Amino acid sequence: MDIEVRHPAMHEIADIEAPLVQIARGTTFAEGPVWDHRNGRLYFTDIIEDTIWQWTPGIGMETVIHPSGHADGMTIDHQGRLVVAGWASRSVWRREHDGSLLPLVTHYHGTKINTPNDIVVHSSGAIYWTDGDGAFYIPGMESEDLQRYLDFNAVFRLSPDGLHLTPVITDFVFPNGLVFSPDEKRLYVNDTRQSLVRVFDVDRNGDVSNGRTFYELQGLEVGHADGMKVDQRGNLYCTGPAGIHVISPDGNLLGRLKIPAECTNMAWGDEDWKTLFITTHHAIYRVRLKIPGIPVGGNNAG
Amino acid sequence: MSTFERIAGPFEGEVGGVLWDGEAVLFTTVDEHRLMRFDPASGDTTELRRYTNRAKGLAFGPNGELYSAQEGGRRIIEFMPDGSVTALKALLDGRYHNNPCDLTVDRGGRIWFCDPFHPIRIFGPAFFPPLSEGSVLRLHRDDRRNWALRRMTFDTVSPRALVLSADEKMLFVADGEPSSAGDRELRAYPIRSDGSLSQPTVLHCFGSDTNGAHRGIEGMCMDADGNLVACAGWKQSGPGPLIYAITPRGRIVETYEFPGDQPTRCTFGGADLDTLYVTTATGELYRGNIGKRQGLGRGGAQNGH
Repeated sequence: MDIEVRHPAMHEIADIEAPLVQIARGTTFAEGPVWDHRNGRLYFTDIIEDTIWQWTPGIGMETVIHPSGHADGMTIDHQGRLVVAGWASRSVWRREHDGSLLPLVTHYHGTKINTPNDIVVHSSGAIYWTDGDGAFYIPGMESEDLQRYLDFNAVFRLSPDGLHLTPVITDFVFPNGLVFSPDEKRLYVNDTRQSLVRVFDVDRNGDVSNGRTFYELQGLEVGHADGMKVDQRGNLYCTGPAGIHVISPDGNLLGRLKIPAECTNMAWGDEDWKTLFITTHHAIYRVRLKIPGIPVGGNNAG
Repeated sequence: MSTFERIAGPFEGEVGGVLWDGEAVLFTTVDEHRLMRFDPASGDTTELRRYTNRAKGLAFGPNGELYSAQEGGRRIIEFMPDGSVTALKALLDGRYHNNPCDLTVDRGGRIWFCDPFHPIRIFGPAFFPPLSEGSVLRLHRDDRRNWALRRMTFDTVSPRALVLSADEKMLFVADGEPSSAGDRELRAYPIRSDGSLSQPTVLHCFGSDTNGAHRGIEGMCMDADGNLVACAGWKQSGPGPLIYAITPRGRIVETYEFPGDQPTRCTFGGADLDTLYVTTATGELYRGNIGKRQGLGRGGAQNGH
């Protein structure tokens, strides 16, 4: 893999000898990767082609859900269920163990929400997601109802009991990727149009405050702020120009993983959580890194 | 004689389509992404919709449907009575078309629209490149009531405005912008009985001078006598901003001085359809009388522009 080193610490993160392997291809707009450790496979979405895929080592790609409502970001909750930022369906929904699809949120105080983009589950079971407005104008991935009703593009929090929906941040232009720090005292959220990452303090109730700019993406190469993840030392991985920017917990660029296509998102996986799966528009890549990522999906997750 | 007064604006950026709904004037503020309504009884302007994604041209369908050419979203949309917005989904031979700017609906409910390229690119991944051609396209319902698209012109560069004659046997198209190749032309396309277009006649041609290209027609409607009433011109070159009355054969029977710059779309309104409402690219809505001209009532909803 081609690596750009900006700080010696980058050598502790990525190895230039580690191959970047293309494991799947043929998508139009791949997104939403998440590793299912119970079954040893990766799920991801193709937003434009309206499909949720699974990729299993030795088997390859299989359709899981189609049509998917142009689903976008995904994660797995502590019970092992797929939790989906529904994009054009203007909902956040969950796949139950019996395979049925359960809408969790479609409205905020009676008003239809915008475009759920990416999603993360807190250790408490609360679900946080970004709610932009892209389904109202991007061709090929539009919602049935193209009217936007909310006057803000929020980060929403759904309480663990599923009863309380709160817009915890409302001053983004286009909120997209989001991820907690390993200790969950911080929430990182990026803004694609402003090309930056903001960081927020998270209190014990899950409330969010004290937003400030954490990192501004620079670079003339292809790519923009989209998906984000953190490793177990708290380094932040954010898609951006040239591939994936690796940023220290104090907000400095350590280096970039250079990916030969526009990255959309990434997911940690494999048993040791040291594999990074990377979605680009038309293909999925896998690379081995040195620091394990944060496990996803609850018990036995690492 | 004309008596124009500004009644709304300036808004940020251009004002687009304008439509008389029987009581008031609907218009779009394209760069502000809003659908507005001016009520002549009260003189108030109110916002009907926001987040319209560069909705520009407006037209009513035969059953009162409110359609718009959504330049940003690259589609024709319908503003539904319940407040939602529906896309009239259709691809042109499997491809996404360009940036619709003006539209008109015939008695059969088919939607004719101009589909030029617009340089403002929408935010987001660009999976579907623009078409190399700027054409007049037409939406119709297929045998399963799904919308389907058909390309109607094969000789246009950047169609800007269109209107049907009262008998719907002629389609008038304004083609070309100051920045596009060639002159800006007003053309009349006879509509064949099978619905296709025959060879056009060029009714008028806008040229250029040392101050630059003359701005051609950006919006048209019909008057009760079957003449075209057209918005064209700008202050920077040529004869300036004018409202033209043009016969279907292309004779300019009258021009009316317009006090604003870059008149864009026009429609007749008022109880007797004797008031001309005009929008401008500089963000304003005007109204005035142009002689004794009155608009063409098309029965039911006013199929204006």
